[in-house]
Amino acid sequence: MPRLAPVATLLALACAACTGCGLGDRERDAAAAAGRFQSALEREDGRAACRELSAETARTLEQQEQAPCDQAILDLDLPRDAPRGVATVYLLSASVDLRGGAVTFLDEEPAGWKVAAAGCLPTEPGHPYDCELEG
Amino acid sequence: MRRFVKHNGLSLAFLGLFLAAIVFQAVAGLAVFNDEQTRHGESPISFFRYVTSSSFGVAVMENWQSEYLQFTLFMLLTVWLVQRGSPESKELGKEGRESDEDQLVGDHAKRDSPRWATVGGLRRRLYENSLLIVMGAIWIATWFAQSVSGWNEYNSEQLDHQEATISWLGYLGSADFWERTLQNWQSEFLAVGSMAILAVYLRQRGSPESKPVGAAHETTGVEG
Repeated sequence: MPRLAPVATLLALACAACTGCGLGDRERDAAAAAGRFQSALEREDGRAACRELSAETARTLEQQEQAPCDQAILDLDLPRDAPRGVATVYLLSASVDLRGGAVTFLDEEPAGWKVAAAGCLPTEPGHPYDCELEG
Repeated sequence: MRRFVKHNGLSLAFLGLFLAAIVFQAVAGLAVFNDEQTRHGESPISFFRYVTSSSFGVAVMENWQSEYLQFTLFMLLTVWLVQRGSPESKELGKEGRESDEDQLVGDHAKRDSPRWATVGGLRRRLYENSLLIVMGAIWIATWFAQSVSGWNEYNSEQLDHQEATISWLGYLGSADFWERTLQNWQSEFLAVGSMAILAVYLRQRGSPESKPVGAAHETTGVEG
């Protein structure tokens, strides 16, 4: 049993060090979700865009705009740019850079990656992004 | 089998306690994590998802690294430092690596001594320091694992709050990394230090961690 202890420890360490790392599939899925959202905005399809929103963000949008999501979302000043590069994934959160410089933030839900905040621009270092849409 | 259990009772008992504790830690940790998810309007995750996440990983690793540091430092410092009256210390005057005769190495090894204690050169040097090397290596590895899983957890929080992520090197200099590290270190150092001094004056009959009940307070380096 003592001989197994170092092996078991090393295996546990390898697992612990790798847990939550952004693996390729998840990064691609997050980028794809952001791409579907941007594509829906580009063709003015509010219903398709709202399908890519997290439930919390869609609910917040409707409460703030006092209008159904598929109408309210097209009234926002959201960028229509396509994603640039792959997503950055940590645990259940991701960010995708857009070609115009804005950032889209996503959360992983049981149904897949959903947009939590969009039209986000950097502010001062160490401060949150300023987002046109957020939950 | 019974003989095996009897001869290895101490390690088996702690293995059982460790397994029970880590399972219940995972259960409690999942509950806390999912409470936060719900509070943020996000979906809860499964038990399997949680125990394979960096959130659980950092919670485990930050504790493991401090435990192995504790033993690494304790082994190292007790070579050269003494505590008068403590069973955790060598006798006064025996500071240092001690003679080959005291350590039963080379020509002074016994018939049943480990093989590498009987040889010379690199093999003996490695074996003489094997406990420190392995414990120290595990400490470094678990501290590294803490840094990686903690970095993932930190950046997940950053993205969740629509803030920029940081590099791993940036995380090593962050308050989050050092707060996690030092909160564990301080408790380990306190525990070892208090054990070293409390054992001067207090006793636990039958435990090798204690002096014999009737041993004088000044008696150093004897076990009960």
